[in-house]
Amino acid sequence: MDLGYLIAAIMPYVAVAFFVFGLGYKIIYWSKAPVNLHWELFPYPHTVSEQLKEMLTEVFTLRSLYLFNRKFWLPSLMMHYGIYLVVTWLVVLLLGFPFAPYLGMLGGVLALAGSFSLLLLRLFIDEVRKISVPVEYFNLIFIFLLALSSLFTGFLADFQVRFYLLSLFTLKPALSIVTNYHVPLLLLELFLIYVPFTRMAHFAVKFFTYHKIKWGELH
Amino acid sequence: MSAAVPQKVFDDYRVLPDEVLKPGQPRVEKFLQAMRKSLQQKENWTFWLPYILSLDTCMKCGTCAEVCPVYQATGRREIYHPVFRADMLRKIYKRYFTLPGRLFPWLVGAEDLTEEKLDALAESVYRCTICRRCSYVCPVAIDNGVIVREARKILDEIGIAPGELKEKGTRLQLKVGNATGMPTAAFLDMVEFLEDEIEETRGYRIKIPVDKEGAEYLLMHNAGDYLAFAETVMGAAEVMHAAGVDWTLNSPNTGINDAVNYGVFYSDVEFSAVIKAHVETARKLGIKKLVVGECGHAFEALKYLILRLIPPEERPFEVLSILELEDRWLREGRLKVDPQKNPEPVTFHDSCKLGRLGGMFEEPRRILKACCPDFREMTPNREMSLCCGGGSGFAIMEKGGFLKFRMETYGRLKAEQLKATGASIVACACSNCKAQFREIINYHRLPMRYAGVSELLANALVR
Repeated sequence: MDLGYLIAAIMPYVAVAFFVFGLGYKIIYWSKAPVNLHWELFPYPHTVSEQLKEMLTEVFTLRSLYLFNRKFWLPSLMMHYGIYLVVTWLVVLLLGFPFAPYLGMLGGVLALAGSFSLLLLRLFIDEVRKISVPVEYFNLIFIFLLALSSLFTGFLADFQVRFYLLSLFTLKPALSIVTNYHVPLLLLELFLIYVPFTRMAHFAVKFFTYHKIKWGELH
Repeated sequence: MSAAVPQKVFDDYRVLPDEVLKPGQPRVEKFLQAMRKSLQQKENWTFWLPYILSLDTCMKCGTCAEVCPVYQATGRREIYHPVFRADMLRKIYKRYFTLPGRLFPWLVGAEDLTEEKLDALAESVYRCTICRRCSYVCPVAIDNGVIVREARKILDEIGIAPGELKEKGTRLQLKVGNATGMPTAAFLDMVEFLEDEIEETRGYRIKIPVDKEGAEYLLMHNAGDYLAFAETVMGAAEVMHAAGVDWTLNSPNTGINDAVNYGVFYSDVEFSAVIKAHVETARKLGIKKLVVGECGHAFEALKYLILRLIPPEERPFEVLSILELEDRWLREGRLKVDPQKNPEPVTFHDSCKLGRLGGMFEEPRRILKACCPDFREMTPNREMSLCCGGGSGFAIMEKGGFLKFRMETYGRLKAEQLKATGASIVACACSNCKAQFREIINYHRLPMRYAGVSELLANALVR
């Protein structure tokens, strides 16, 4: 079996399975955890709408960093928006919107710039370097290389990728479309496999740390 | 002065003396066994979820350090970085209890535990008051406080806990009813003395009821207040009297007569034993409402931590802070005050346990604004209040030069904050904070005094 076939025809399913089941397993595991003693931090939002507002503000503005750790805010915001846009790219591309590649490229550029600047901050700010271990750099380099290869090969800019993605649903992958995109595709697949088992799954962890612990009184 | 400071194991202080820490003796294996237990859901359900998520998900952004009083006050010394401290436990967790840490320790920052590292960890977890200011601002709501507390729990399991919190704390309290060791006869004498004092100061005598069964309100203070902050106890008695309610104090004769629960600081086993004894005492007396005096951690324990530990049917009484009652009675007009009786400028310190951990932000402010005409806010305040440095047992810990640590870190920041208000009284509603303020005012030579909220309220009462 050649490597291209593995990357384009088999790994996509494996990666998505790992991502879905890995993350699903973790979420179920945390959900089933015994309910801890009350350990809220006041004040906290009480109603669902207040909670949504606070969570969305945090997700879309990274307010904690803005207020308390400003030097990390813009780089972090760029990287997160890059990821949000790439996820949106995937959705709008599948839906067939012609502007999808622009979103994808913008996302890629932001993720690239964000991960690179976060890497520089971690390397050159003494006190952050001291609390960092190799895996912190590894994660940032991973995102950087994924963004770089996706941009460099034109993966995010190619509307044809839509037909490859759709073909995956029919279990007859249109391999010829992605011949030039094996590197970003492989990195993306590895990324999906990697995320659930690392702290990059913090987007899911946040639900528990906020809703069950920091705001836990309602539950 | 006490004997020379023992050998350094972490920094210039040694809050755990040799007889507690036992450096040089093999403890690593026992520590790892206790830690394994702490990571099991069934064995450690009380804080398992926040503990595990906090160990696993720190993004190392350092936001916590930007708001940590110790890190800031020490000129950002690496060993006082909240993540440095949490990582001391996290490295062990990764090395012994995670697959990546076993396979690739260098990649994930996993490290073997040595006896020396254990010494340093034990001291380090007593440099953080678990004020949870860092947790409040963490983008992922990672809780360095819970990691510190879990480390203290593991250490206690292997016999390493400050004597002030254990032998002279929870153990003594469970044995004689209070952590001050005061027997019933002395307690009753003390109450009589307080009645005399009130008469002398105010010109009228009130009866302070003790051990009254079936009373509406059982007021339980931090027993240390009777000895160190009697003005607060007297103030609360005057308030209860003025409100005309059916209330009582209780003596050690009835069980536990001390609201404190030092288990909150270092052990769920001790915490649970003490809180059960509290509940048993309240039930035996048949009271309807348990009022926690001016004590932050006692309020946290009896108001919140109790809820999932003791089923509601087993605690047939309501728990209130004295601040809630005072605020309510003032607003109802049950208490009449003349604010001109407290003409000095007053500021208020938000105790972490009452405020950030207890949600009691507005009650004390309404009380103080009603009975002090010149009320001034400290900045920052409320949920961003700076811990005074008396929290998590620190207020009663002085060994190994620790008072200096308290004064030069948390204490220094608090002193600067106090000075900036220009107030001549700092009001607070927590015994540990008061004990810390007593030292801060003395050490940093501040031209002010501290006072309990109940004390200021009582002073403004109009009969």
